[in-house]
Amino acid sequence: MERLGTLEVKNLSKKFRSRNDELTVLNDINLTVQPGEFISIIGSSGCGKTTFLRLVVGLEKGYEGEILLDGQRLNGPSLKRGVVFQDHRLLPWLSIEKNVGMGLKDAKSDESRKAIQEHLELVGLKGFEKHYPHQLSGGMSQRAAIARALVNRPGILLLDEPLGALDALTRMYMHQELERIWKQEKITMIMITHDVDEAIVLSDKIVVMSSRPGTIKKIIPVPLARPRDRASYDFVKIKEEVLEEFQLHTEHPFTYTI
Amino acid sequence: MSITTNVATFIRTRYHGLVSFLALFIVWSAVSHYELVSAEYLPSPPAVAKAFVKVIKSGQLGVSLGSSLVRIAEGFFIGTTLGFLFGVAMGVSATAERLFAPLFNALRQVPIIGWIPLIIVWCGINEPSKISFISIGAFFPILLSTFEGIRSVSKSYLEVAQVFEYNRIKLLRKIVVPGAVPNIVSGIRLSMGTSWLLVVWAEINTRSAYGIGDLLSSAGDGKKPDIAFVCIIVIGIVAFLINELFGHLEARLSTWRKSYR
Ligand SMILES: Nc1ncnc2c1ncn2[C@@H]1O[C@H](COP(=O)(O)OP(=O)(O)O)[C@@H](O)[C@H]1O
Ligand SMILES: [Mg+2]
Repeated sequence: MERLGTLEVKNLSKKFRSRNDELTVLNDINLTVQPGEFISIIGSSGCGKTTFLRLVVGLEKGYEGEILLDGQRLNGPSLKRGVVFQDHRLLPWLSIEKNVGMGLKDAKSDESRKAIQEHLELVGLKGFEKHYPHQLSGGMSQRAAIARALVNRPGILLLDEPLGALDALTRMYMHQELERIWKQEKITMIMITHDVDEAIVLSDKIVVMSSRPGTIKKIIPVPLARPRDRASYDFVKIKEEVLEEFQLHTEHPFTYTI
Repeated sequence: MSITTNVATFIRTRYHGLVSFLALFIVWSAVSHYELVSAEYLPSPPAVAKAFVKVIKSGQLGVSLGSSLVRIAEGFFIGTTLGFLFGVAMGVSATAERLFAPLFNALRQVPIIGWIPLIIVWCGINEPSKISFISIGAFFPILLSTFEGIRSVSKSYLEVAQVFEYNRIKLLRKIVVPGAVPNIVSGIRLSMGTSWLLVVWAEINTRSAYGIGDLLSSAGDGKKPDIAFVCIIVIGIVAFLINELFGHLEARLSTWRKSYR
């Protein structure tokens, strides 16, 4: 289990500066993620979720506060933190197996081939090794992107609205798949979403964000047994609790259509 | 696929183009058959066919075509290699772009034929001059398309590479250049077309050795319009084949871009 790390975010603030403007996107974010936890971040568009994720990945620089992984400050992107971007970002000129092998040092070695095969199986894409991204559906592309992010066995997987573009049924199927992968890989997952059901089905904790500037409004634990029943009383109660966080802001009712 | 089905598809898809060739051929046959123009100026189709057989049998056509193709290969190789390297450098590095872009943009304005006098002064009229001339012609299309191709590679793929800790070389080899391939191949196709045009031009104008252009211009000097016809037809056919070949290559290597959502 040593590859898992504790992520600590302390007093994190992020500003984007343009020529004569300064936009505070994130303000005083504090969050601790334990090894093996599944965390969802939920909030309206533009509240800074992607920015937060990019900071944790190391793609965004220049922030105040601290982002610590096992007590160490982050220093740029690393193979220890896998990412699934909102747009899958598979390389269109590479076959699925080559895409999945992108992060491996020597993708041709026997060990690498085995890892690629295993991860294609993990995401249910066995038999699609030689296909190209344009031949896959949206859900399959996201699964390939998940396999690519997992193939180096990162301790943390960050997912930016990975299921945002999928239809409702594929989404529910992918929830089962994600949960299975999370259990099987024993990995920490931090997922951005704006689907409340999705967050409750999958997460140990739900981080509710408010916008302008993006702050953490509430962290809601989800102490329900898995797999979760969307129709159960406890599930609905937690859903109400999450939704309440958004309805509080009646002064901007339209900003919070989730 | 068998050759006959290939030919059948070809005729079906290019049918309209063939009509105009056929029409031209009929007019030509009629004009020479009824001797509307003297055979001294316009050889008849059978005369051209005979000349064709003659130059093939004597080996003249083979040697000429062969020398021209070797020349092209050399000039094209030098020009595209340099163009590709500068294109990559300028595409990847803003400093290289600032350094070279103004120079190349200025030089690009010179019509290729405008280089001839200087090239002759520098390289004489033998092989080196022809090859330099073709190299210059092949250089610019590939330079521009490589540069543009690299600049068109989405920044989001570069971020993927960052997450996978790619170093600069791996970034170039795995993301930047492959992403630019469709542009690069279309540049190669343009360069190749230009090279063929220029080799004929250079051979006609700086006559010295064998070449399809030499055969053509000596046919003009020797008042042998039948040989000139043969040369023009061969030049056209080779240009067509080059275009087809590189067109297929381009289509094959660019499928991912066309079908990419
Ligand atoms: N590179 C950037 N430069 C300037 N502003 C940015 C940049 N990236 C994001 N923003 C702004 O930050 C805010 C939050 O964006 P984002 O993190 O993408 O939100 P979310 O993912 O929650 O929808 C938006 O107002 C967006 O316009
Ligand atoms: Mg976002």
